[in-house]
Amino acid sequence: MGRLSEEKKKLGLEVLSFHEDSKLITNLNSCVHCGLCADSCIYYRSEPNEHYVPAKKVDIVASIYRRYNTFLGKKIPWLTKARDLDDATIEEMVDLLYGSCTMCGRCTIHCSIGVDINYVVRKGREMLSRMGYVPESLNATVKAAIETGNNMGIPTKEFVDTIEWLEDDLRFELNDDNANIPLNQKGKDIMYTLNPREPKFFPLSISAMAKVFYAANESWSLSTEMYDVTNYAFFAGNMDEANVIAQRMDDEMNKLESKKCVLAECGHGSRAFKWEGPNYIRKKLLYEVLTSVELLAQYIREGKIKVDPDRLTEVVTLHDPCNLVREGGVIEEQRYVLRKIAKNFVEMTPHGTDNLCCGGGGGQLAMSEYNARRMKTAGLKADQIRKTGASIVVTPCHNCVDQLMQTNVEYKLNVKIMTLAELVADALILE
Amino acid sequence: MAIIELEGKTFEVDGDGFLSHPEIWNEEVANLFAKSDGIEEMNEKHWAIVKIIRRNWEEKGMAPMIRVICQETGVRLREIYELFPLGPARGACRIAGLPKPDGCV
Repeated sequence: MGRLSEEKKKLGLEVLSFHEDSKLITNLNSCVHCGLCADSCIYYRSEPNEHYVPAKKVDIVASIYRRYNTFLGKKIPWLTKARDLDDATIEEMVDLLYGSCTMCGRCTIHCSIGVDINYVVRKGREMLSRMGYVPESLNATVKAAIETGNNMGIPTKEFVDTIEWLEDDLRFELNDDNANIPLNQKGKDIMYTLNPREPKFFPLSISAMAKVFYAANESWSLSTEMYDVTNYAFFAGNMDEANVIAQRMDDEMNKLESKKCVLAECGHGSRAFKWEGPNYIRKKLLYEVLTSVELLAQYIREGKIKVDPDRLTEVVTLHDPCNLVREGGVIEEQRYVLRKIAKNFVEMTPHGTDNLCCGGGGGQLAMSEYNARRMKTAGLKADQIRKTGASIVVTPCHNCVDQLMQTNVEYKLNVKIMTLAELVADALILE
Repeated sequence: MAIIELEGKTFEVDGDGFLSHPEIWNEEVANLFAKSDGIEEMNEKHWAIVKIIRRNWEEKGMAPMIRVICQETGVRLREIYELFPLGPARGACRIAGLPKPDGCV
């Protein structure tokens, strides 16, 4: 970690001094240290150490705020537990805010007085990002997205070759030469997006959505220029880069003149574009933005696709991605879909808005530095899964899929991890 | 950086267990890493996949697309996930001695 210069320090402290942010100031002044948030946090629950209590995360940002923004903090810092922003503080901030938080927001809904802890963590990450302390591995993912247009640095030709390969397979499977995966087509109803890990390593979910679009006779296209639904700058706390990424998506939507932007199964991607995007780019999105989860539910509800309720007999459970469910409000749609296609659907305890994070969110999957801690938090999810007796775990988020795949091996769960689109594609009745 | 010990041999790895110095990779490393992932014995298909990944990385500096792996080895897509329970990235790429790929993997 580089030493903190006065210049960097100023950039970090500015985040706490934007007077327009009354929300931040209210939250920084409100925590009463009741400690009820402790038990809501997967870090604290997997290792009950006071270091991991979410209130500590608010505390460290609040103590810096007091030191530089309040009269008493400036004059008699020890009286108000105000803290200097120095190298030691920064080291602790990095460990707490990047290394021990998935930004899952569970503490926020459990807070006895409603402090938006999640928001304070984000602001703390913003400070660290402005001062240049984003963990290197997380930064590399953002850098790849900024420089190449997708977070895995996939060259366009490789992407196109992959889509054509999948298209050949789709035609073969459906026995129809008209089945296709359209690229860069203007004026379609839907521009569909992907998580780059799909074309790179896990393309079954692309084929699954293409099959569903085929069954629904949908007018859709992918873009080869901007298909990446992720926005890791949101996790890094770099608002300038988050803006660049969201703006590219908006530009591509306008270029292709699509009516709807459909976001792939990606928790943070949907949060970062649908809910945060307009704030990053400071304008209203002129088209509908919805997640593929909502679209799949809509197709079934409106009879645009037919699914077989009897085909899938294995016990299926659902993992709720925090950013889609707790932060994004998409709660019932995935359950509606599962009840239509799975004979044995069992909920985890707890689930829905109170669900436990898988441990892979908040950029944790990208940050090798905290791998051991991440896999320890995964034990809670492993227990939840085991108790359902399920053999299939479905989750509408590619990031969660990856964390759950690792959890599956590490905790010897012997389950299959699938996306919602994959299950729906397998249940399709094609006429 | 961390150190892992596999059957008496030590390796410098990143937090996710990917080799810190990919150039020291050889078939013995692959066997040891595979075993630690629960792959008791690398079969012909495992080797074909690992070697394609390794070659692509040595030539182009990145892991190949899954399409390239399937087309060059003739292994079916779904089978790859069965061969490597941790998937192509955390599983096969790690066994092939690559650094961890960026992104949601």
